Amino acid sequence: MLNILLTLAVIILFYTVALFLGGIVERVRALKGEELDYTKNNQTHGKLFLIYGIFFLLMFAFSFKYMDFASLPKAASNWGVEIDELFVITAWITGIIFVITHIALFYFVWKYRGEKDKKATFFAHSSTLELVWTSIPALAMAVLVVMGLKTWFNVFPNKKTLPANQLTIEATGKQFNWMLRYPGPDGVFGKRVLSKEFVSPDNELGIDWTDPASHDDFFASELYMVKGRPVRFNLGALDVLHSFYLPHFRMKMDCVPGVPTGIGFTPTMTDDETRELLKSNSHWASIDPETNEPRYVKFNYELACAELCGKSHYGMMMPAHVVSQSKFEEWTKTQKPFFEVNKDKIQAWLAARNLSTSTSKGGNDHAAFNGEDTTKKDIKPDSNYTKVESATHNIADNKAMEGKQ
Amino acid sequence: MATIAHGDHGHHEESFLEKYIFSQDHKMIARQFLFTGIFWSLVGAAMSVLFRLQLGWPNETFPFLETLLGKWAEGGRISNEFYYSLVTMHGTILVFFVLTAGLSGTFANLLIPYQIGARDMASPFMNMLSYWFFLLAGLLMLFSLFLQTGAASGGWTMYPPLSGIRDAKVNAGSMWGTDLWFFSMSMFIVSSLLGGLNYIATILNLRTKGMTMWRLPLPVWALLFTAILGVLAFPPLLSAALLLEFDRIFDTSFYLSDIVVGGNLLDYKGGSPILYQHLFWFLGHPEVYIIILPAFGITSEVLSVNSRKPVFGYKAMVYAIGIIVLLGFLVWAHHMYMSGMNPFLGSIFTLFTLLIAVPSAVKVFNWLTTIWKGNLRLTPAMMFALGFVSLFISGGLTGLFLGNSAIDIPLHDTYFVVAHFHIVMGVAAFFAMFAGVYHWFPKMFGRYINDTLGYVHFYATIISAYAIFIPMHFMLSLPRRYYVFSNYQTFNIFEDVSKFISVFAIISFMAQILFVVNIVYSALKGRKFTSENLNPWGSNTLEWTTPAEHLHGNWPGEIPEVYRWPYDYSTGHGDTDFRPQTEPLQEGEEAH
Repeated sequence: MLNILLTLAVIILFYTVALFLGGIVERVRALKGEELDYTKNNQTHGKLFLIYGIFFLLMFAFSFKYMDFASLPKAASNWGVEIDELFVITAWITGIIFVITHIALFYFVWKYRGEKDKKATFFAHSSTLELVWTSIPALAMAVLVVMGLKTWFNVFPNKKTLPANQLTIEATGKQFNWMLRYPGPDGVFGKRVLSKEFVSPDNELGIDWTDPASHDDFFASELYMVKGRPVRFNLGALDVLHSFYLPHFRMKMDCVPGVPTGIGFTPTMTDDETRELLKSNSHWASIDPETNEPRYVKFNYELACAELCGKSHYGMMMPAHVVSQSKFEEWTKTQKPFFEVNKDKIQAWLAARNLSTSTSKGGNDHAAFNGEDTTKKDIKPDSNYTKVESATHNIADNKAMEGKQ
Repeated sequence: MATIAHGDHGHHEESFLEKYIFSQDHKMIARQFLFTGIFWSLVGAAMSVLFRLQLGWPNETFPFLETLLGKWAEGGRISNEFYYSLVTMHGTILVFFVLTAGLSGTFANLLIPYQIGARDMASPFMNMLSYWFFLLAGLLMLFSLFLQTGAASGGWTMYPPLSGIRDAKVNAGSMWGTDLWFFSMSMFIVSSLLGGLNYIATILNLRTKGMTMWRLPLPVWALLFTAILGVLAFPPLLSAALLLEFDRIFDTSFYLSDIVVGGNLLDYKGGSPILYQHLFWFLGHPEVYIIILPAFGITSEVLSVNSRKPVFGYKAMVYAIGIIVLLGFLVWAHHMYMSGMNPFLGSIFTLFTLLIAVPSAVKVFNWLTTIWKGNLRLTPAMMFALGFVSLFISGGLTGLFLGNSAIDIPLHDTYFVVAHFHIVMGVAAFFAMFAGVYHWFPKMFGRYINDTLGYVHFYATIISAYAIFIPMHFMLSLPRRYYVFSNYQTFNIFEDVSKFISVFAIISFMAQILFVVNIVYSALKGRKFTSENLNPWGSNTLEWTTPAEHLHGNWPGEIPEVYRWPYDYSTGHGDTDFRPQTEPLQEGEEAH
């Protein structure tokens, strides 16, 4: 308490002194009869503003160098690389305008600081000038729009063609973690039914256990993708909005309860390749005091939530990896299907409802999951959950989906 | 105490209540808006200091916080729930209560009747109501801070389902805090509509003789367009708020569908959270122009007067504002590129969004040409107007990244966005507001403000503002609204930068207190603004033809007649470098 009072006293003293000093300066100006004469102030502040301007531009340039460590490594996805190029082009265009206009601003203020017997030039209008600086930005904008939309339609093509050997992963956000579902060796997700019968604390996604396709689906605690193999995320959320954000891949898409969304890309850099790049980054090359190793050794990609989702929004971190196809297959072998792990529980649940599981489809679907051409098969990546209660609802969803592919 | 100078057109004695509290005089209402705005800006800024403490020093404890905030800062560290309430309230307060009501309310009330030559607003009573609804909105919001479950904490955009499910398990701030937020916003919308309709009616109908539209000073043009924007854009927010309250209270499903909480499927069916976002941003985007247009107007006026030059391209400035208003209604979904809406929409909104850069660029170039070859009088007001130009350039340019949907994929909802909008509509609008307060201080308070402290305020503010927000651009991978980020190896590299930003946030806050101290002290004890020099800045506009003391009805005699546009500076005619609007054209002078 005493500390608070003391601090308050110091602060009040500070402002009193400031008021007092400011008052004296004004009093002196008034005594000299210069209270509305800004000639001296013009001199002082014309120069001071120019000095500030030089300092400002230098600091701005310096911050690029200083903040260099903070930039992310080279984008690890095909679209990421394209987006970064677009970013850099925009940065150059805006950077040039920024520097030119600021130099003009600081220079004009210094150059035309008011003097007693100087006169301002009456210059109210010039059609030529105005035409010039309407059309130049318009042209620059046209270039940016065209380039931007090209990339945009690459990421979200209007016509949906399923890439061959696409890996589809279902990511569902909930407070406060991600549920990542892989379709398992059959390459098909088990159906989901969003009804009170199916959804329960043990089965938040409402997976239909009578669907044999659900039996090999597994949940992963870390995200694994394959280098060079297109990956598509079917996104959803259980409770509130979340946003599926992979900073290293420059990818992001909101997860919306009731509205299926999705995003796809092709990873281009494995974990190891990015680690290699980070060796030249001052932060990542430095020694981590906890492990006594350079930081890049422990580097991995991360999945984050980018839409405020409640009090632990910041806690939705999940490690992500890009590996070779063979390593991916090794990893999938270590993953146990949810159905297997919880077999007793699920069987009891089924028995209580007089339901049974149909026989499994068998091994020939294995191919789909391991990266072979699956385009001939009837896989609908986004329609892997159905809603029982309203038919119209499904139509609306399908429409929404067509746009989103 | 309540006697005022009398003119010859029906003044009457006013009681204390009539004059200071339930005032219907535009000048008093302007000051009411200003002081309420200052109160809210201090509250909002103090909140930002609190959460900057958490962001800058996430591992330290500040015992005084527990003394101050009790259970919200147990152990001297702000809780995550309270952190989210703070960022939500900070955004709401600054965007709506300070930069909308505080800025528009103050200067629309002060300048519209003065500069068009009217005795008061078209409806002084509506004008009074506008203030009182604003105050009511503020009080409701203030109450929500003292709730057991905490104030609203869904972010200032209040997206459902986070704000739509009235369940403390989902979000404590979504209980009464959110209800109060929406009730308060409804009151605020009423206030804004009452004010806006009044401003439009006044500008269109009450201009003095000779004051054609093309002779209006730019602040009035800007305030006219602002009012039009507000009147058209605020009602959708009211409907959005109503529908959300229906979802919350009567369990309707406008925005909610297929929601699973704690493994239980809730009964909502068929709604879409994206609908709310459309309705919200249909206001939300015009809202940023509601904030920045008055700033354009004030800046143009202050730059012109203090450059002793006409504003360059007066008509282009007006057309630019008009085009911005038009386009402003067609770009709302650029806040929603990543929301899950149809990506094809994203392409259309990219086009319109980048188009807005054209009129904005025209304005910047026109401002630069206005000071070019001028005879600049660098008053504190002028410094802030120049600072505005710098900030508007810096913040506007980063908009070209975010407005481009493809680049927005990684940048959406990151610190890059935070840096962008804080510079372009936060700090910039504040700078224009400061410019306005310093420039019209004698008119508002009958005394001069202390210039020296004004200069200190200027440099401290512009340096600390840039020191806060330039580094944030480099934190472009870090999602906004993170209470801590040390759990990510991608983001924990920003810890030092975050500390740096927090230090400057505190410095900036201290500088603003200096400004408030200066206002209060100068309004009470400053050098008097006397009838010896009624036009200290040598300005052409009508407000400087009124007497030094405030008069109900503004002019003691007839309302002055206007003969020319407001920017005849350094025309080469006459013995001074300005020709007030009330002065008839001399021989050889050309009308503009």
